[in-house]
Amino acid sequence: MHSRVDKFVETARRELKVELSQAFLLMLSLGAPIMRQIGLSSFPDPAAAEAYSRAVRAEAVDRLPELLEEFERNATARGVQVIWARDAAEANSAILDIAQRRGIRYVTKGKSLVTEEIGLNEHLVEGGVEVFETDLGEVITQLLSLPPFHLVGPALNVPPEEISAVFLKKGIISEPTTVPVELGKAARAYLREKFRHLDMGIVGVNVAVAETGTFINVENEGNIRLTKSSPKTLVAVMSLEKVVPTMADALHLVRMVCRNCTGQKLSSYVSMDTGPKKTGEIDGPEEVFIVIVDNGRSEIYRDPQARQILRCIRCGACANVCPVYAKIGGYPYGFAYTGPMGQVMNPLLLGIEACSDLYRACTLCGACSKICPAGVDHPSLILEYRAREIRLKNGGSADFRSRAGKALASLLSMVMGSSLLWRLGVKCARPVLNRFARGGYISGIPTGPQAWFGCRDLRAMPARTFHEQWQDLQAGSGREAS
Amino acid sequence: MKVSLFIPCTVDLMMPEIGTDVFRLLKRLGMSPVYHRGQTCCGQPLFNAGYRDQAKRAAKHFIEVFGNDERVVSPAGSCVTMVKHHYPELLSDEPHWHSRAVELAGRILELSQFVVDTLGVTDVGASFEGKVTYHESCHILRGLGVSDQPKKLIASVKGVQYVEMNSATACCGFGGEFSVAYPEISEAMVKDKAGNFLSSGADVLLLSEPGCLLNIGGYLHRNHPGKKAMHLASFLAENA
Amino acid sequence: MNQDAREGILNRLKSAPRNNPDARPPKPVLSETGLDREGMLERFTSELTAQTGTTYRVQSGEEALAVLARIAAEEGLRSIIVAGKALPGMDLKAFGDREGVAVTAAPETADREALRQAAFTADAGVTFADFAVAETGTVGLIFRQDQPRLVSIAPPVHIAVIPVDKLHPVYEDVIGQVFGETDHIPSQFAFITGPSATADIQAVGFKGMHGPVKVFAIFVTGRE
Repeated sequence: MHSRVDKFVETARRELKVELSQAFLLMLSLGAPIMRQIGLSSFPDPAAAEAYSRAVRAEAVDRLPELLEEFERNATARGVQVIWARDAAEANSAILDIAQRRGIRYVTKGKSLVTEEIGLNEHLVEGGVEVFETDLGEVITQLLSLPPFHLVGPALNVPPEEISAVFLKKGIISEPTTVPVELGKAARAYLREKFRHLDMGIVGVNVAVAETGTFINVENEGNIRLTKSSPKTLVAVMSLEKVVPTMADALHLVRMVCRNCTGQKLSSYVSMDTGPKKTGEIDGPEEVFIVIVDNGRSEIYRDPQARQILRCIRCGACANVCPVYAKIGGYPYGFAYTGPMGQVMNPLLLGIEACSDLYRACTLCGACSKICPAGVDHPSLILEYRAREIRLKNGGSADFRSRAGKALASLLSMVMGSSLLWRLGVKCARPVLNRFARGGYISGIPTGPQAWFGCRDLRAMPARTFHEQWQDLQAGSGREAS
Repeated sequence: MKVSLFIPCTVDLMMPEIGTDVFRLLKRLGMSPVYHRGQTCCGQPLFNAGYRDQAKRAAKHFIEVFGNDERVVSPAGSCVTMVKHHYPELLSDEPHWHSRAVELAGRILELSQFVVDTLGVTDVGASFEGKVTYHESCHILRGLGVSDQPKKLIASVKGVQYVEMNSATACCGFGGEFSVAYPEISEAMVKDKAGNFLSSGADVLLLSEPGCLLNIGGYLHRNHPGKKAMHLASFLAENA
Repeated sequence: MNQDAREGILNRLKSAPRNNPDARPPKPVLSETGLDREGMLERFTSELTAQTGTTYRVQSGEEALAVLARIAAEEGLRSIIVAGKALPGMDLKAFGDREGVAVTAAPETADREALRQAAFTADAGVTFADFAVAETGTVGLIFRQDQPRLVSIAPPVHIAVIPVDKLHPVYEDVIGQVFGETDHIPSQFAFITGPSATADIQAVGFKGMHGPVKVFAIFVTGRE
């Protein structure tokens, strides 16, 4: 996927003014946490359930190489062809190659974030293979060429009028309609023919189970089951961190991902594939390929602070509780991953220096890590990236802004490191800060971006700091009136 | 018990009356708080911006100033979080400083934590006729796990009527540098917070974080001049 | 090249500093494990009803056919495709002749093409299910030669017939049986909970996306 992270600020500013997005985001930020809470309350002890899923993911990441080997061994023993892909190019060409060798004209696709990350669709299309996204949200974003608005519901914000227009253009409907059920029915009819004649399907993987070589898909629409059942050839694409030790572990994670994602206790379909179809079976794939995608993750794994991001199970709960996401929606994050998950993942995939806004447009409120069922500590990673950015900027040829920033930081640290300099510094700062004060408040500065002052006033610095008042305070305390 | 006051830079420079109110409150409860004039700033702004080497300098000074105190108490959850959770991490490569930081982490408390949990006091002798609501600042709530304590202090104020605010635990949009670097997003967040305060019907918005007070207070001053936000310490001290 | 990729990736992972995983906390308790049969049936029913599915309880295969006839009349079913191990007293071919419903036995279709043709045009799929789980009103299907996959996902209506002794409180009871023996792990196993659904447009939820729009579960209890 082409990154638009560099447009973060302008996209955020634009989205803040889109009324429909704002209304929808408000509903999401209020409703989703409640749904999640209700879903989790089916556990007698929700906190124990969260602690357990965090432990499972922590262990799975700690044991990653051995679990991947075990998974491969068991899958291969069942007739799966496992393909390892170091990067997007290797994954994409392997999958295109499978399609071309079989004369495949089109594929249907189940939702897979990693395939969006590596740009699989574009590669297939360039190679002469038509791609039909089939998850309704992805159908819409594919037709409208939109980035994802939400990790799980990529087109939630798109006005039905726009969907109707593009459906009409593609002949999916013959009359305009803005009724979601009607649009859904039309998409069903349109794609049914594709499932019916399908020769090759591509799906993602929610969880991979090492002890059996099974991959599991969690869905509501049925497009993944159809994609896995109808054709002779099936390709499952998984980013390498998706593996867990046992089926029991996988079941617990499935319970947690459903509750955290949509508040459901279980999605409509949880389908578990272990190898191609057996002799005598009529449907199901004759050949199953599992593509294990690295694309930077083994490097992330070697990074002791960053490694924890690999625990993520893609539930989207972090975005649902993020107060910044609740204002700007998914577009500003500019890549396959949005919300707090995108803040900590995209810089590792796209480069720290390219993603500055992602980890700086954050108040470190901690709502994300508080509810993460996989135990990712987003704020600590965000702080780490900020520190790395500063180190990167100050090494080598730093630009003026970086040098100025560093100079200021060094000055401040000197002042903070010395009681005397602090008290002197304050005396110097007061007249500068209060230059534009009126009636005890500063409302703006004469030129340049107003930043703070755009919507707020700032108290002027009082005549005496607490430091300067202490002596009087202490002396007067004996004469305190009650 | 000796209590040492940690007055954050935001209070020292911009809202010193909060420091005064904290002092008065603790005196009322029988303490004789000391104040080390050598204190400056915990270094959080530098740390949050990514200037860790520079933040270390501030941290070491802080540890020098407060290192021998039995208890350090502060009216700012984010600053206490900085010392408790980030100093050990920041100084992890210098074992001597690291162990001093870990030690200090065990002795530093946010104000309401100290009053309710350590002193066992919820009624500080305050009274107020009117409705109040409380904004749960991010660091004090999620960083320190402090939520019941301020609410108990509020509930014990005679005559007060506590009303719940919608989205009381939602971030107000300050985030330090964030409010200046991403002002449009910050504005959208503080506007929501102010709106929730107004629709709660409360007369006063109480909070325990100076940064939030600058943000929300500044927004109210510009847009809703009659409505007030106050630090909990000031509220308790003024109405005692 | 794949071998190079494999070694490259695994070597990089293995060269990373090792964390020894912490001991796991206790497994969370599930409230459903203590349910008895009546409790399970009630729970299954309320869960499936909440997903707009309908649950029936009958004592015999013959009674199940009677329910099936009713559903066929109500839903206007003219053709059904059937899979799984039929219960005694459930001769669906004969049922079809009686009721004027075309019945295709999925395992008897000639090949993939014939199966796809039948499954994508049938009004309903009837599956004799291997399991049911009370926890969420879920049906469990092992896909194998006599239980092709498309039967329960392609037609717009899915009717699952389940012997009541296959009803369990929680998923774990089922998974242990399905995945317990390595040699017998099926090529696909699915948990099915209610009809297909989506809320991808403006978060407006509705049932019936690519999979069935209606689901029925018929529990056969035997003489009570």
